[in-house]
Amino acid sequence: ETVLIHGEAGPNRGARAAALQWFADELESRSNGDMRVDIQWGGALFKANAALPSIRDGVADMGTVISVYYPQELVSYGIADLPIDNPDAWVGMRATDELMRTSDAIKSDLADKGLVYIGTFTTSAVNIGCKDAAIRTADDVAGLKVRGVGAYGKVFGEMGANMVRMSIYEAYQGLDVGLIDCSQGYSYAVAALKQAEVMDSYTLLDWGQVGGVGIFMNEDVHGSLSADQQQLLEEVGSDMADHFGRLITDANAKAIEDMTAAGVEIIELPEEERAKFLELGEPFIQAWADTAQSVGLPGTDLLNEYQQLIAKYTEERDANGYPWLGN
Amino acid sequence: MIDPSTIGLIAFAAVLVLLALRVPIAFALASVATIATFFIFAFRTGTFMPERAIRATTSLVYSNSFDLIHSYDLSMIPLFVALGHIAYRAEITTKIYDAAKVWLTRLPGGVAMASVVGCGGFSAITGSSIACASTMGRICVPEMLRMGYDPRLATSSVAAGGTLGSLIPPSVLFIIYGIFTETSISRLFLAGVLPGLLTLAGFILVIGIWVWRNPAIAPVGDQVFTRRERMKAALDAWPALLLFLVIVGGIYGGIFTATEAAAVCVVATALIGFAQRKLTLSGLWESLKETCIQTSAIFFIAAGAKIFVAFIALTGVAPTIVSTVTAAEPSVIVLMLAIALIYLLLGMFLDPIGIMVLTLPLMIPLVESYGLNLIWFGVVVIKLLEIGLITPPVGLNVFVIANVVGREAPIDRIFAGIARFLSVDIIVLGLIMAFPIISLLLPMGM
Amino acid sequence: MLGKLENVLLGLGAVAVLALGLMISANVAARALFDTALPDTVTFVREMMVAAILFPLAAATAARAHVAVEFVTNWFGPRTRSWLIVMGSVIGMLALTPLLFAGWREFSSNWTSGGFFYGDLNLPKWPGRLLFLIGIAACWIRLAELAIRDTRTILSGGIVPTNSDEQDTA
Ligand code: NA
Ligand code: NA
Repeated sequence: ETVLIHGEAGPNRGARAAALQWFADELESRSNGDMRVDIQWGGALFKANAALPSIRDGVADMGTVISVYYPQELVSYGIADLPIDNPDAWVGMRATDELMRTSDAIKSDLADKGLVYIGTFTTSAVNIGCKDAAIRTADDVAGLKVRGVGAYGKVFGEMGANMVRMSIYEAYQGLDVGLIDCSQGYSYAVAALKQAEVMDSYTLLDWGQVGGVGIFMNEDVHGSLSADQQQLLEEVGSDMADHFGRLITDANAKAIEDMTAAGVEIIELPEEERAKFLELGEPFIQAWADTAQSVGLPGTDLLNEYQQLIAKYTEERDANGYPWLGN
Repeated sequence: MIDPSTIGLIAFAAVLVLLALRVPIAFALASVATIATFFIFAFRTGTFMPERAIRATTSLVYSNSFDLIHSYDLSMIPLFVALGHIAYRAEITTKIYDAAKVWLTRLPGGVAMASVVGCGGFSAITGSSIACASTMGRICVPEMLRMGYDPRLATSSVAAGGTLGSLIPPSVLFIIYGIFTETSISRLFLAGVLPGLLTLAGFILVIGIWVWRNPAIAPVGDQVFTRRERMKAALDAWPALLLFLVIVGGIYGGIFTATEAAAVCVVATALIGFAQRKLTLSGLWESLKETCIQTSAIFFIAAGAKIFVAFIALTGVAPTIVSTVTAAEPSVIVLMLAIALIYLLLGMFLDPIGIMVLTLPLMIPLVESYGLNLIWFGVVVIKLLEIGLITPPVGLNVFVIANVVGREAPIDRIFAGIARFLSVDIIVLGLIMAFPIISLLLPMGM
Repeated sequence: MLGKLENVLLGLGAVAVLALGLMISANVAARALFDTALPDTVTFVREMMVAAILFPLAAATAARAHVAVEFVTNWFGPRTRSWLIVMGSVIGMLALTPLLFAGWREFSSNWTSGGFFYGDLNLPKWPGRLLFLIGIAACWIRLAELAIRDTRTILSGGIVPTNSDEQDTA
């Protein structure tokens, strides 16, 4: 029996936890009990911002890594965080997963860091919720006090928002007392963090995703596994994107339903307004490509490849529907 | 190969022995956790592999201590400690106590009671027990000692009062609990209010009875103050009132976060001190240096506790305990008593957030299977974790006070004073467990 | 020499605490008065926290400010107690050695890789790692000095003062 310790910084609740648990259960059952995952939740072993060295050094055999903490070391995976037109959780994950598995440049870059890619999650599309304010057009952002994250936050700043930095846990109280007017978020996380209790509008930007969130494994540990075991990890890791896609699509739909029921106004942006957000995000996409280039990765090529994969899986979804809805 | 759970138990015992042998707490926790972690990593595959174990162990120890210190939110702690020191040198705290003395002089133990209420108020604002204990410890304890209060009473009432930090909202611990259980944070906050006030009332009662039985520990003045003297004393305390209004108004008025409040108050206090010509530049400098010595020692203990939590996670002690309890299929009452015991035992050694992270993923499904209310259970858990902050051998609040106060109160004396507050804590805990309505009245009224 | 170095580090720690307060306050003012934010305050604060907390560690150690439980050892004779204090210092060195080891590894890997924090200024990661290494190293050196000095004191027939002894004589 092979027991793999997995370090996860988040709690054992919510869609991502359910998917990770599914990954663990599936690995155990498909290996007939030969492989087992011992998940350490809540950052008991290491916090999110120490995941990369912890996995590399063997504190855990594998773990959940969030690329935004490693904008330089994990620039390759950061491609999934860019503010591009990438609103579908399943499409985004399939594209990211395929890029991470097939790109030789990325694989050798990861190997240099002592890591092996196993599977991917996503936060799903970026939206924004507000209290005593509502974003109906791109112009409405100006003058609002906004808690934003990553490149998306930078775009809100470009649009004239007054950027307030606080942790996601402080966001609840921040909205409640009016320290911030709006907080960037993802539907299911807004529900999980109960932020809807203190929001009265929620604008669907359907923007890009924070998709640089996934499972990585220590290269030595991976190398010590049998070929069959490695094969199984790859299979289950890849299937996880489908499973999580289903979970998160359902969870997001339910979150929107609950918010509506709780009296939160759900705002859908007109297409031309949404386009303004996307346009302002472009310089940050270019900045990513420059960083990639600076560490010897073909940034522009990877971006093209990623966009093609998004188009490919969008087409596949439009033609066949989501895999879990088939037959 | 040694069973990791056994290594866990040996480690707990080793910490106890080292503490008894006067090894500084931070060194005891960190060294035992490091060595034990090394053994777990070295024997993981069944064969002794020291080289990989060294790399993994050092990485674990490093990241857990570095991340604790490399924190924006925890900057609140040095800042609030600095606030206490600067306010002391600017004579702002003395003025509060002069006022308290004038107003409460006839009430036996009145100043200690006022300090506990002050802790409740401070906790309601900052949400952190440690920040509360370190600031109030610096402000209240020296003043009470100056008035002739027994050091045991002065220190233990502030250490105990500091534990109100997480029960009275807002509270970091409730937020983390809410995230681990997917329960409403605003309901949890409301649920903590009455148990928090009940605890506060209990603490005041403890002081009252303690002083009633030993009047010598809290001297009562026989001076009679005129109305004019009373008004003057109250008015002289205006800087403290102003600071309080700045904190409360700023946080609830949406101007700054609790962390930012600490910084704003430090700057405001220094400015008031300079304006009143009570604070000098060298006084400010000395305050900052004292702040540094204290906070570095406190953080080092917290880092040791953090490393210990990571090590305990590796041992699998927590799941072993929970599955033992589950296998016994206890009745609800036995289950709750077992849970209380587990949290009290873990609370002897580990920090609140660490305990939650280790136990909640296992405990919550078990509690849910019994159909228990998770809001109520949250209040029980937070109360248990708060108790852990003042239980020996590792009682963070007690260490903070010992550190702030220095030689006049060795920790065994503070623990001796704490025993009285602990007994009332256990009674309050029993009430909260037996009568869920105490917790649920406010949130159900929503 | 060691004392001077510690004083400098302590002073720098005090400056870091002051800087934390001023920077966070300035950010609040910028937000409330000018609808803007200072760049990367959170990252600056985190990096300065390392100096504020760890630079004074050696001075705290020299002042024997680490909290310890004394009520058991109060029953022992002064010489036994003195040896236990030496043991405490040695155990402290033991606890810090892995931090030195990993601290150096983390500093040098961030130095060579050029790792940075995502933000307005993309600040490099190595300075905080370097501050950590300096603080821990200074504390380690002080513990070693204490262990040697205290051992000499005991061997020449003296006893090592503890907090409670000093209190008795005060
Ligand atoms: Na509180
Ligand atoms: Na304790």
